Amino acid sequence: MLKSLRLTLAIITGKMIIALVKGLDLGAGSVLPGAIALRLAPELLSVLCAQITQGVILVCGTNGKTTTSLLLRQMLNQQGYRVVHNETGANLVNGLTTALLSQANWRAKFTADYGILEVDENILPLILEPCQPKYILALNLFRDQLDRYGEVDSISQRWQQAIASLAPDTKVILNGDDPTLAYLGQQLKQKVLFFGLNEPDIYLESIPYATDSTYCPNCGHSLDYQGVYLSHQGDFNCSNCGFTKPTLAINSSEWPQVLMGVYNKYNTLGAALVALNVGVEPTAIKEAIAKFKPAFGRAETLTIEGKTVKILLAKNPVGMNETIRAVQQDSKDYPPVTLIVLNDRTPDGTDVSWIWDVDTEFITQLQGKIIVSGDRVYDLALRFEYSEPSPHYLQVENNLSIALDIALKATETNSTLYILPTYSAMLEVRQLLTGKKIL
Amino acid sequence: MKPETLELTIGWLYPKLMSTYGDRGNVICLQRRCQWRQIQVSVIPLDQQQSPQVFEQVDLIVGGGAQDRQQAIVMNDLDGAKAEALQATIEKGIPGVFTCGSPQLLGHYYEPKLGKRIEGLSLLDLITTHPGEATPRCIGNIVFEITASPLAEELKAMIGRNPIVIGFENHGGRTYLDDVQALGKVIKGYGNNGEDGSEGAFYRHAIATYAHGPLLPKNPFLADWLIQTALREKYQETITLTKVNDTLVKKARNGMLKRLDLTNLLNKE
Repeated sequence: MLKSLRLTLAIITGKMIIALVKGLDLGAGSVLPGAIALRLAPELLSVLCAQITQGVILVCGTNGKTTTSLLLRQMLNQQGYRVVHNETGANLVNGLTTALLSQANWRAKFTADYGILEVDENILPLILEPCQPKYILALNLFRDQLDRYGEVDSISQRWQQAIASLAPDTKVILNGDDPTLAYLGQQLKQKVLFFGLNEPDIYLESIPYATDSTYCPNCGHSLDYQGVYLSHQGDFNCSNCGFTKPTLAINSSEWPQVLMGVYNKYNTLGAALVALNVGVEPTAIKEAIAKFKPAFGRAETLTIEGKTVKILLAKNPVGMNETIRAVQQDSKDYPPVTLIVLNDRTPDGTDVSWIWDVDTEFITQLQGKIIVSGDRVYDLALRFEYSEPSPHYLQVENNLSIALDIALKATETNSTLYILPTYSAMLEVRQLLTGKKIL
Repeated sequence: MKPETLELTIGWLYPKLMSTYGDRGNVICLQRRCQWRQIQVSVIPLDQQQSPQVFEQVDLIVGGGAQDRQQAIVMNDLDGAKAEALQATIEKGIPGVFTCGSPQLLGHYYEPKLGKRIEGLSLLDLITTHPGEATPRCIGNIVFEITASPLAEELKAMIGRNPIVIGFENHGGRTYLDDVQALGKVIKGYGNNGEDGSEGAFYRHAIATYAHGPLLPKNPFLADWLIQTALREKYQETITLTKVNDTLVKKARNGMLKRLDLTNLLNKE
């Protein structure tokens, strides 16, 4: 009795705060309502998840969660399924609860077939119990924000322990090109399916420096790579214990991709393999891929003063290396103008040493114009100063608004400005640019 | 001696295994500061593929931090002849810089709260213990003044002011020194153990510190001291390094000092 009263109170309070935040235009308010409601009724998340008729799909990994969840949602919608989704990208417990609460009615009911929740890699173990997912999609595990998350190995061990307690019919869909995840898949009793690439013509020339897992997760011996697609993801085997890339459940060469960059090939394949298992028709999946519009700041394209502006979130070494590669491929005919913005606030990680793991040489080689800004503008400038070759043109401007002006002026009409911001910098860049559009 | 006739070989300890927090930046910094001065420089990995002899043939050693699994692989490979070669190199005065996890590796042991003690190389008279996962890690920006002798005096003569190091620390282990000098005195942050105000260790010409950031690009006087010391040990004469343009790093340093309310340390030169 008391329990249900408390639950009702939590729902009403949470929803009132959501309405209040929206009404007063206090910003997205994607975290606070859930935080307060959970304080009143800790079981709220599991109550909400239980309302989803066909089940919850969790999307996790270091990079690509937001793009992949959005794409998967559109695939499911294409087939006519109703989906609830934490689309703001708030992926900690409070954010998940707020997202579900805002889409539920006053009695915590909603009519949804599937719930797609993108989940921070660190809290995945905490939410398996309340969410009881039908599907888990894991995209990758890279080095990210060591000040907050810790090491790749320990994350994967925590995942394994947590997933082990789930129902045996849970489907776990993993990136088989990632040795850590391939190994994780072998340890699980649940139904495991792998996606990955089988396209040796896009192998990288060498293994990038920002790579964590080139050692066999099973025996510790150095892994042999026939080729690398991205960071430590590739075609690998261990000559010591025989551990090898698992058989893939999807043929990558048969599928188109969304947006740009090899990382979005993986995001597309992960979403497609889940959608196929849910029962979405291949034609519907391909239609969703063709129609896909990016989530904000993830290869999002704006047009400003007759110039194309592409915002490519770059929040860790692998992410930045891959966005640099995407810029390289996208700007084949002319040296690009690139604005890179480095902040060190909580959502970015307070330790900026990771920029030294980024192969900035791949930008300075292009001989284009480089503009740097952000809270740690001088640290970023220093990284470029030490790059070999030295930058051909490097403008250092700590005021982001001025830096954007400089970058736009440096970009010719009908040409593209590439912006590579960390997370909080991406929000600032968008605010400044969309503000400009209104003017 | 003319700079273009000078040659330095930098030995990089297990680049693939010991590089957690942008530690490559230390190697890049040394390499570029040599190149900008026309000093011939080469970098060789000191790893599983290398023979112990090569560990003794380098002019400067750089070591970074390792994750637990990687640290075990390193210790396993270093055991025996390579450990002795590394020790001989440091004992004969070859300069080295060891950041993050590598000071732990140079001490007597690293002891987790649960689990087995990991033996170190005993090159430095220090131990590291981990108080357990319930105790928060030491994470954040760190500022300390170098006090070790004669390093502090040599640096002061080089830059004309007290040598202040700015970096970032992130460690669960607490390090306690015995019969070895601390590298410096903490001004902001935790340092070795968050208790005694000491940070890092200094022995012969080896610098050990929890500060990354990475260390050398943000504190270029340390890079220059390492280069100068390596040249002096190799050619047995003091070679004065030409100045390089450090405008950007001054701004980066001053930005952090202002943010940490350490305006008294601002570098006005």
